[in-house]
Amino acid sequence: MAYQLHRISALVVEDNLPMLEIVKSLLVTFDVGQVVTATNGVDGFEKFCEYNNDIIIADWMMRPVDGIAFTRKVRNDKDSPNPYVPLILMTGFSERRRVFEARDAGVTEFLVKPFNARDLYKRLVQIIERPRQFVRAPEFFGPDRRRKKAGIYDGPWRRDEDLKDPDIMQHIRAEKLKAQETLRRVRQEEGLSKGDPFILQDEG
Amino acid sequence: MTQDEIEFQDSRPTHYNQRRRRKAEFIRPPNTLKAKVGSGGVSETILAKAQAVLENNTVDFRPLAEMYLENLLKGVDKARTLTQKDDRENVISHILYPAMQLKANGGMFHYNLVTKIADKLVQFLEVIEELDLAAIEIILAYHATLRAIILGGIKGDGGTHGQELLEALDDACTRYFDKKPRRQRHDYDFDQ
Repeated sequence: MAYQLHRISALVVEDNLPMLEIVKSLLVTFDVGQVVTATNGVDGFEKFCEYNNDIIIADWMMRPVDGIAFTRKVRNDKDSPNPYVPLILMTGFSERRRVFEARDAGVTEFLVKPFNARDLYKRLVQIIERPRQFVRAPEFFGPDRRRKKAGIYDGPWRRDEDLKDPDIMQHIRAEKLKAQETLRRVRQEEGLSKGDPFILQDEG
Repeated sequence: MTQDEIEFQDSRPTHYNQRRRRKAEFIRPPNTLKAKVGSGGVSETILAKAQAVLENNTVDFRPLAEMYLENLLKGVDKARTLTQKDDRENVISHILYPAMQLKANGGMFHYNLVTKIADKLVQFLEVIEELDLAAIEIILAYHATLRAIILGGIKGDGGTHGQELLEALDDACTRYFDKKPRRQRHDYDFDQ
């Protein structure tokens, strides 16, 4: 089973026509069902109002309305059909203050150009699998700007007591050996060496 | 959206030297995208096919690059006639915009060396405090190098010669910053 991307519609807003075609081709190759295109922020917002796309991929630098102003419109305009829509901003900028500027406008993900197919795919996975909660504050509306970092847990482990039991320890060791043996067998069957990643075809 | 999905946060500071915490509403919109696409990702075959689409694109980047280079020169001309009344940031943006486009698009259309060199130019423009003659000289050196690469149709990273060009331009910027002030470093350095 794979993503049913043919069920979604994407809007690509980019003023550089060859680049627009490339992004469109990539999405079509990923099997995205409908790819709507626009060449600037004004046209992009009109298309979004018309098609209410599931995702938006926009360039930063466009005239007359750039990707930042477009994002603000999508998030805050009363006519916006979905202010929560995931929005990926493409740009050549990678400086921290630029990333913050995009984040403060309400961008969901940031894609630095030049990028490859996997980079774009990773952003898609991010917005599908790990959507961000939204924040509405007096001067901001958009995806939560905080990125949570997993802290190091320093409390008691649930199985601290179990580990003192020699029978349980023996069982854990046996399970560990069994798992190692399975891993060795799978690697041998697939012709993988130790450092090679496992690619899961179906997570469902 | 149910009431359970909305949380409110508003509290007064514990001391007058603290700013009042702002009221914020946290919203968890339903994940309609996930509901539509399901699970399982995209296969490696599809990813390889998509990458091939990128690598096999035959778009001629040169007309586009020449347009950006021309705009960059126009930006430099504006910078040369900069007066006290002009907005310095705005003038820099006329150079920064085409430089950023060259950086962003070069690598998408097989001109990786253009991306590397234009990236250095963008970094330079993001950090300089003033557009003096020395800065303009450096920008023109970048322009001349980028133009030579585009006109020469040098795709890829340019090999050893490309690396030498990049280092020469980088050295010129380093010498510039040895003499001139730059904006606060923490604005730009991810690792700090």
